[in-house]
Amino acid sequence: MPDPKSASTAYKPVMSRHWWLQHRYFQLYMLREATVLPLLFFIICLLYGLFSLSQGEVQWQSWLTFMATPWVVLLNLLAFSASLYHAKTFFELFPRVMPLAPAALMIVAQWLATFIVAAGLILLLGGWL
Amino acid sequence: MQLLQKDIIIVGGGGAGLRAAIAAAEAAPGLQVALLSKVYPMRSHTVAAEGGAAAVTLAEDSLAGHFQDTISGSDWLAEQNVVDYFVQHAYQELVQLERWGCPWSRKADGTVQVRRFGGMKTERTWFAADKTGFHILHTLFQTSLRYPTINRFDEYFVIDLLVVEQQIAGVLAIHFKTGQLVQIQAKSVILATGGAGRVFHYNTNGGIVTGDGMALAYRHGVALRDMEFVQYHPTGLPGSGILITEACRGEGGILLNKDGYRYLQDYDLGPVTPAGQPKNNYMELGPRDKLSQAFWQQQKLGLTADYQGHAVVYLDLRHLGSQHLTQRLPFICELAKAYVNIDPANSPIPIRPAVHYTMGGILTDINCHTSIAGLFAVGECASVGLHGANRLGSNSLSELLVFGKVAGEQAAALAQQTSLVPVSAIMAQSKHQQTSISSLFGNSSESMVAIRTEMTQAMEQGCGIYRDNNGMQRCLTSLHNLKSRYARLTVSDSSKVYNSALLQHVELGFSLDVAEAICRSALARTESRGAHQRLDEGMTTRNDRDFLQHSLALRQADGSTAISWQAVTITSLPPTERRYGAAAHSPANSNISQLKAAQEKGLQHE
Amino acid sequence: MNKTISISRYNPEQDSQPQLQTYQVVSEHSTSVLDALLQVQQQDPSLSLRWSCRMAICGSCGVMINGIPKLGCKTFVRDYPEQLVISPLAHFAVEKDLIVDMSPFLQHLSAVKPYLINAEKSLQPHKQTPAQLAKYQQFANCINCGLCYSACPQFGLNPEFIGPAAITLAQRYNLDSRDQGKAVRMPQLNSKNGVWACTFVGFCSEVCPKKVDPAAAVNQGKVASASDFIISMFTP
Repeated sequence: MPDPKSASTAYKPVMSRHWWLQHRYFQLYMLREATVLPLLFFIICLLYGLFSLSQGEVQWQSWLTFMATPWVVLLNLLAFSASLYHAKTFFELFPRVMPLAPAALMIVAQWLATFIVAAGLILLLGGWL
Repeated sequence: MQLLQKDIIIVGGGGAGLRAAIAAAEAAPGLQVALLSKVYPMRSHTVAAEGGAAAVTLAEDSLAGHFQDTISGSDWLAEQNVVDYFVQHAYQELVQLERWGCPWSRKADGTVQVRRFGGMKTERTWFAADKTGFHILHTLFQTSLRYPTINRFDEYFVIDLLVVEQQIAGVLAIHFKTGQLVQIQAKSVILATGGAGRVFHYNTNGGIVTGDGMALAYRHGVALRDMEFVQYHPTGLPGSGILITEACRGEGGILLNKDGYRYLQDYDLGPVTPAGQPKNNYMELGPRDKLSQAFWQQQKLGLTADYQGHAVVYLDLRHLGSQHLTQRLPFICELAKAYVNIDPANSPIPIRPAVHYTMGGILTDINCHTSIAGLFAVGECASVGLHGANRLGSNSLSELLVFGKVAGEQAAALAQQTSLVPVSAIMAQSKHQQTSISSLFGNSSESMVAIRTEMTQAMEQGCGIYRDNNGMQRCLTSLHNLKSRYARLTVSDSSKVYNSALLQHVELGFSLDVAEAICRSALARTESRGAHQRLDEGMTTRNDRDFLQHSLALRQADGSTAISWQAVTITSLPPTERRYGAAAHSPANSNISQLKAAQEKGLQHE
Repeated sequence: MNKTISISRYNPEQDSQPQLQTYQVVSEHSTSVLDALLQVQQQDPSLSLRWSCRMAICGSCGVMINGIPKLGCKTFVRDYPEQLVISPLAHFAVEKDLIVDMSPFLQHLSAVKPYLINAEKSLQPHKQTPAQLAKYQQFANCINCGLCYSACPQFGLNPEFIGPAAITLAQRYNLDSRDQGKAVRMPQLNSKNGVWACTFVGFCSEVCPKKVDPAAAVNQGKVASASDFIISMFTP
């Protein structure tokens, strides 16, 4: 495959920093990647909650108050929907990577499993608290 | 002008070229193989073959059966020693491809599945869904990457063979990317450039199928054999000519005219077989020439339908059911949806015949060797003598494997014994070509598009499914006229990098030469045989007394074509009447006894 | 019906960068974008493009159509009632007009050793059940058109990423019951330009004209790569 020093001077396109704005598919991809931000906030809240629990009643109450502030609720709702969105993309990918059963069936099964586990945890925690 | 030296050059990166390259690399690992292709190898037209590749496989089948089907399919114009060699080696080649990873379709027990095909008495067509050519080509291309001595020259377009005193010395090519001329010396050269379907207006072929290799050899005095035999595939999509595989009929598809009538029963292919229960050699599983001719007859009778201005009949697959179609004919479903917006599970597909394959080509012996020492040809561009007057579907994919291997090994053996022709001997020829290429640039009133369109239309009108003397004479006159216009044609784009206009100009010159060889050969054969059917009085039937012979088109010094004749090699199956359907079993036919005789001669499966 | 289309033109001997040029074409119901381009080439023979089969199997005619990688022959002018802009495949160097340099793509393909590796010498066919065939069949349908590379921002940012089609091909052979070459292919997939360079944008599968789903192949490659790594931790 000899490539003689060619007369050709190919044009090398450069990717703009805004490539992801070019179409919806990339925007949704960036949105999926961005779901990490509200989730990060939620995890910090959670860790702070655990820390507060270890600090006694007063601290715990103040954490509960903090969690009830409208902007925190809002951010956590955002984190919740972000995690649902992330789960959706993951659940759709999973049957393609592990084709164990028809894709539609596997997607439904994953959502079902998620709801069962979540409901179980809520019941368990509710009972404990 | 760049100068390179290799041992073997292969022109063309399709199935035949790649198989030859691998065979050469395996036979002589010390030799350097140059694989030149005007496109990336996986774009080659082998990719579009759909149905399958034939080889005797089932226990109840026999080599004699495949032998006889092929000879009968060829209307007795095949070289019987070549067919014999072919049927004996086809199976091993398909197995070889299996060992290289080709995803052949399988039976539940894991063995290879075979399907029915037109003109074959028994199921013996191996297939990979309905993309057999695609899978064969990609398997060969990927396998070729294992061999470091195969040097690929992608997008190099060969414009001339370098020949010194009837001995091959190399090739002259244009590197498409840079516009540079490159001389490559070699001890042997294999032409594997494919067919010439693009000289006709309606064809199933890719844009690259322009007869390049045939013209290259022809211009150096190599004969083109049996060029009058051009196969019309009975089922192309209207307008585009996109191929709808014969496997549709092998799976049980039926052909209907505008009244929903299975018209093939009127053309000695009956009696009617129930829809979805195909029977080898009956009705829709007759050979391609007969089926395309039946379409023409229906059109004459006004029994074809109209699809956007094209006369069509219908290929009905509905009774096969959606599940079977998606499993066995997924590509057909995709093509029908994309190009005629039809789901074959719900509606019949409008189809019409389109030029598909050139049975004729560069004359070679059984070793793929041409009359120029060291020059070989293989695949559709060649006439090794397998197809005669009509090719059976699924024989050509096997052919390019069986004879690709032969060509590669023969070329390697020869290259090991010879040395390069000194470069001084080829310089004058290369310089001459360089001058003529550079003199092409400029502006003229002639239009390449006009010449090309007129050529394809002239061929369609003059050398179609049925031919007569007047029509062919008119075609020949047009071709002469077009050739003189071509001589004045220039290339307006003088750029170097990827100059498509220059390439198309050279291709058109090749096509015009091939078109003339087809037309001249067709005029000379004043009988009807296989794919060559004449309407002239006294020429409508086969005439073995005068024409059990191959036509040879030879280029004369003045650029015209002269036709001479070559005897057909007949080893064990003398000519009888060619019959399909129930007629094949009538007592008048002596095929059966001939077959028995052939079997006794020991044509058994190894 | 007359239709105006815009085509990106670039002649390396004259231009410093591609520019859009508009042309008039006649569009009927069945006119593909490739047909339209060939009409333009008849008006202006200096237009360069790759094409051959017209039936979406040779993989030559990939272009960007309104910014999305597509096969020209399988895309129809009728589906673009508004504007129709045709430019060369993204993320590849443009040689001329609609022709891009495909050599990085071919290098990546060859790098994964895309052939059956099996030491056993035999003249008999292997057995392979339909279920075993189905494991890799979809990945064997790749026509090497390169659309997935133009859809992949990671390849655009890092041309060394071996990319969707090459990983798919590696996976095609790794999953083939007849193959024994997984061990020689894995180092390539494990490397930094292998499967882990993929961030699962997923657009490659979206644009694939043959429904090969390269994104699935790449992510299966990640699972294989991870298990490869874990196994190597527990083996001396």
